[in-house]
Amino acid sequence: MEDLFGIPMSTIAAVCVAITVLILVLIGVLAVRNPVMFKTGLRNIPRRRTQTALIVFGLMLATVIMTASFGTGDTVVNSVTDDVYELMGETDLTVSWDAERFPRPTAERLLPLAEADALREEFAGDPDIDGFLAVIGEALPVVSLDTQLNESGAVILGYDPAEAEPFGLLRDVDGRPIQLAGNQIAVNEDLAEELDAEPGHRLLLLYGGTPIEVEVAAIAPNSFISGAFAITAGDAPGGAMHIDALGEALGLEGFATDIFVSTTGGVRSGLDSSDAAEGELERYLADAGKPYAVSAVKKDAIDGARTAGSTFTSLFVIFGTFSIAAGVLLIFLIFIMLAAERKPEMGMARAVGARRRHLVESFLAEGMGYDLGAALVGLGAGIGVTYAMIALLNSLGFGLDLRVSFTIRSLIVSFCLGVIATFLVIFLAALRASRLNIVAAIRDLPETPPRNPEDATWRGYARSVLSAAVAAGYVIVCLLAIVRLPEARWLFTLGLIFGLVGPWIFVLRGREGRGLPRWPFALVPLIPFYLVALLIVRFARNRMANPGLPLMVLGILLPPLGLALVAGQPRERAVSWSAGYAVTGLGLAALLLEWTFASDRAVYFLLGVSLIFFWVALTLRYFHVHERLTFTVVAALLLLFWYAFPTDIFNFLTGELDTNIEIFFVSGLVMVTAGTFLIVSNADILLPAVAAAGSRLGRIVPAIKTAVAYPLTARMRTGMTIMMIGLISFSLINFSTVNANFASLFLSDDARGGFSTQVAVNGNNPIADFPALLEERGVDSSPIETAAEVRIAGANETEISDPAAPGEFRTSAVFGGDRAFLETIEMEFTIRGAGYDSDEAVWRALADEPRLAVIPASLTQGTGPFDPQGDEALRLEPLADGFQPFALTFRDPGTERETVVTVIAQLDDVADTFWPAILVRRDTLLAAFPDTSGQLFYLRTADGTDQDAFAKSIEAGLVQASAESLDQLLDDQRGATTGFLRLFQGFMGLGLIVGIAALGVIAFRAVVERRQQIGMLRAIGYQRSMVALSFLFESGFVALSGIVMGLVMGVSFAWVLFASGTMGEAAADAGFTVPWAQLAIICGIAFASSMVMTWFPSRAAAGVAVAEALRYE
Amino acid sequence: MAGNEDDRADLVIDAAGVVKTYDTGEVQVHALRGVDLRVPRGEMVAVMGPSGCGKTTLLNCLSGLDGFDDGRVLINGSDITRMADNEKTDFRARGMGFIFQTYNLLPVLSAAENVELPLIVSGTRPREARRLALEALERVSLAEYANHRPAQLSGGQRQRVTVARAIVNRPSIVWADEPTGALDSGTANGIMDLLVELNADADQTQVIVTHAPDVAARCHRTIHMADGHIERDEATRPLAAAAASG
Repeated sequence: MEDLFGIPMSTIAAVCVAITVLILVLIGVLAVRNPVMFKTGLRNIPRRRTQTALIVFGLMLATVIMTASFGTGDTVVNSVTDDVYELMGETDLTVSWDAERFPRPTAERLLPLAEADALREEFAGDPDIDGFLAVIGEALPVVSLDTQLNESGAVILGYDPAEAEPFGLLRDVDGRPIQLAGNQIAVNEDLAEELDAEPGHRLLLLYGGTPIEVEVAAIAPNSFISGAFAITAGDAPGGAMHIDALGEALGLEGFATDIFVSTTGGVRSGLDSSDAAEGELERYLADAGKPYAVSAVKKDAIDGARTAGSTFTSLFVIFGTFSIAAGVLLIFLIFIMLAAERKPEMGMARAVGARRRHLVESFLAEGMGYDLGAALVGLGAGIGVTYAMIALLNSLGFGLDLRVSFTIRSLIVSFCLGVIATFLVIFLAALRASRLNIVAAIRDLPETPPRNPEDATWRGYARSVLSAAVAAGYVIVCLLAIVRLPEARWLFTLGLIFGLVGPWIFVLRGREGRGLPRWPFALVPLIPFYLVALLIVRFARNRMANPGLPLMVLGILLPPLGLALVAGQPRERAVSWSAGYAVTGLGLAALLLEWTFASDRAVYFLLGVSLIFFWVALTLRYFHVHERLTFTVVAALLLLFWYAFPTDIFNFLTGELDTNIEIFFVSGLVMVTAGTFLIVSNADILLPAVAAAGSRLGRIVPAIKTAVAYPLTARMRTGMTIMMIGLISFSLINFSTVNANFASLFLSDDARGGFSTQVAVNGNNPIADFPALLEERGVDSSPIETAAEVRIAGANETEISDPAAPGEFRTSAVFGGDRAFLETIEMEFTIRGAGYDSDEAVWRALADEPRLAVIPASLTQGTGPFDPQGDEALRLEPLADGFQPFALTFRDPGTERETVVTVIAQLDDVADTFWPAILVRRDTLLAAFPDTSGQLFYLRTADGTDQDAFAKSIEAGLVQASAESLDQLLDDQRGATTGFLRLFQGFMGLGLIVGIAALGVIAFRAVVERRQQIGMLRAIGYQRSMVALSFLFESGFVALSGIVMGLVMGVSFAWVLFASGTMGEAAADAGFTVPWAQLAIICGIAFASSMVMTWFPSRAAAGVAVAEALRYE
Repeated sequence: MAGNEDDRADLVIDAAGVVKTYDTGEVQVHALRGVDLRVPRGEMVAVMGPSGCGKTTLLNCLSGLDGFDDGRVLINGSDITRMADNEKTDFRARGMGFIFQTYNLLPVLSAAENVELPLIVSGTRPREARRLALEALERVSLAEYANHRPAQLSGGQRQRVTVARAIVNRPSIVWADEPTGALDSGTANGIMDLLVELNADADQTQVIVTHAPDVAARCHRTIHMADGHIERDEATRPLAAAAASG
């Protein structure tokens, strides 16, 4: 895999390794400088082995996810590139007719054989090219006269085997060169398997209905020169004949359809000469004025494989982000709890002279021990997960034969990313843990925050803002800006340096009474208001060409000012970091909103506004506004904002914004955070209700009461655990619900449009009268009630005017249905143009009037990040019901003749399953694109017909046709969709490990923390089972809070997305379904595994020795 | 103390030859080396001695909080050495109260909820348990603090909640391990007044482990321990005399 999110993997690897080395050097320096604290940290690791195992288990998840994501990408790239090399062999480039610059009907796009000779002569002795091979390629139906088996579309290649030496010669399966003469054919392995063919068998090729008899000379391995062109599909039936024989049979004597080119070097190393050879050939053809184009087929295929690999990795990274986020929370939580456990020790260490720095160092040493262990274990587990995922991908039957492989680079990057992510969180947690009151720590009393005389004053607020901005804020802002605004990179690099220097200045700041004047503090509160004013101006004015300019200026001006002022701050005075960071967040919000206008990306708008909510909440908290009220109202409003966004309610302000797949992650993160605040701020209201409800339960009431009460006294750890479980539940439930609705939308039985069987006909052997031909071939056609014909022009065979760019032509598939099709199909329209009152009116008009068209829903929907059609694909603006019918111009690439059609309606989304194309009348299609040869028949059969048996009887009777029941096709698609869904669910479900590990860590910690209380409970009459029950209830309460929150939000947000039309108009109109059974399984597994994890600590709690526990301190 | 059968029938605690050894693997610590102790109903016994002499271990073994290696302990005539864990737990819940130096209240529950815990776990209906808990809090003059959580109470108040919890199930024995150890002298006196009052009013047997001579002086009898055995057993304020003095 060469890149991830557009960043070269080599760059990512270099940066990751450099940072990891820096971290390790830092740890090494700490070990040398202060071996005592270092050892103190390390020796804590084996103190509680179960807890250590749990910590390593929890910490490894980031590495597991990165390893599995990269491993899947590597596997896809390596498997596909291996297949490409094996299949293409020595063929690197092709020369064929340049239809773009020299339009001509397909049948006339031929190259005289003499061109190949001319090329050989011209490039004889060329250092980059070592051979040319003129070929004729046609897809033909083949039937074996010996076995009576047939194949409706085998690629038969014609060339002179004697000239194929630079291409490795045509060889049989044993490696012996094959000589072909007369009507001999070498069939490849896939065709041989299909026909059960052996050397000596006689085959019939059909071309234009005329049979051509050939004899099998040999079986050749699948390769380009044995007619195997499908790189990723499972089957590539084909064969090779002598070009003279095939040319004569097809009436193409003296011509080729393509010239294969082999570059110097081997199968793989030949790629190095591809660019040079392509350039030379293009120059030659241009200079000679020849109407041919060069295509770097091997390079394009390899690039395609790499893109596919990157796409897979990106998808898994995005879907794994929830788990990584949950993992980060877990790491923080674990270290906060470790700090709580060690509080008396740390207090004692501080009392005897250790500095805060020493505590941080000790924690870092311990943390790095876990970190390195977890990264190593994670690497192994990630490799295991990759094997499982690839096995699942292979079983889905996409025609891919993936073989697990890893590159050393990917493994190093996964390891380093795991180490870096964990280190950063450990560092922050260590900083937080080291801030303790010595006496409170020694006596293990609750920490009392130092009283700040400037608390809740504007002056204190200003100092907090400055301190936060200097300490960290600009590092974040500048890093983001460096990535996003390359034109201003140097300015922000300057800001970054200030940001990095800031913390040291903060540490070194002066004492009260000395230093710089403090009057400029008064100016600082103006900053947020300035930023808000800036936003208002931005909203009111046109969008900026150069986003972020005011912020850039601010970024340059503020840090030096901040540095100077912070340096003058009194050392002893406490800083309200949260208020300060909130304002830094506001700056970031402003930057994101600027980017919203510059890029039209919804994610920046949503994040920016969410950060403003964050700022409001923390600022109100700083000024001592009622905390529950503040967090409840702000969290509720934030949720309301997110639920309202898909309804386009903010469009008047922002205009149309593009949503992308990252919205999935961001929505989950923000909504779950807001939901967690709502729960944690208000859960104590539940307590009396729980007590009242449980009062009938007699002796277990205290167990229930304490189970709810304890989590509420440790809001931070409870909130973080609820958030972790909530994040994973939200992601799984939202994903499953959205997918279930899409599946019911696209893969419902309505997709069949009232037909039951699809028959694809070989383009070289079209069928004029389908039922008559069936009768002729002795196939019982009595089950057929209607046989409708659809002609197909593939996207590469069309040019269609783009209404958004006059004069520009794009591509899109166009289908032409005959009258029977248009009168029989049962399909609704989601949007009808003016003048068409009903669906029947649209279908009637389409059947009666030759220049009308209807479009598929996919044509008006935004392109996703993985749109396979690229920029050339036609996209139309979304339509509204009653729209004015508009014109589209079809241009035939062969003749450049134009045909204008009028679009009168948009089909239901479900039509995209089988007819993802602009639909016109058959005669309109044939007039507009006379070259098209694709032909389909759709059959409506009598009730009770065995569809599969009937399809098989058609295939047996018509050698040029392949038939399948639409039910079977739908089932296959459903199976593939379900398989893919399971794969992603399983991958995202890895995050559950985090939530469960968190519950386990908390429960184990609670046993230690509450040992004395457990002893007391046992002393006054609690039986062991009740103690255990209390712990189980407690974890159950936390797990259920997270799961129910994820369930409610995941389902409701999916509903909003569907009902608001964000997922398409058809989705808005269709009934919303909730896959309750699937959700019950997800929630059940999450809850059950939480309970299993808690069972161990609850047993430990129940087993506490009473007398010992009462002595425990 | 009492030697005949009648005296034995009135014994609340009757321990003989109690041995307890802590085995740490490398070192064996003989915490109790065959302790005999008899305490009649209504007697307040102080257990004193230097740190590590086995005071708390004795209290834990006698009350059933901890097991012991040898010997026999009868509480109100019931042999706790023969009781299963759950049986012993129920026995404690119904017939014993505990007071600890560090209060050991559940921080997440209110004073009233803490006090009613022993009642609820022994099967009293919640409404009745709350009534009795409020009565007990009234007894220790903390009725108005019933809905306060431990963190909202002073040290003395917390210990009085502990006393209320210890008496709420009207136990025949109250075990107290350094009940005044974490309190100032004024508050400690208040707690001792309360214990003495409860002892007199309810004919309650109390075993109090303490370092404080002031506390021991207010008990009927003081047992001095050293090195895992009873070194001296002296009557400070004999039960009969105390009863006579009213």
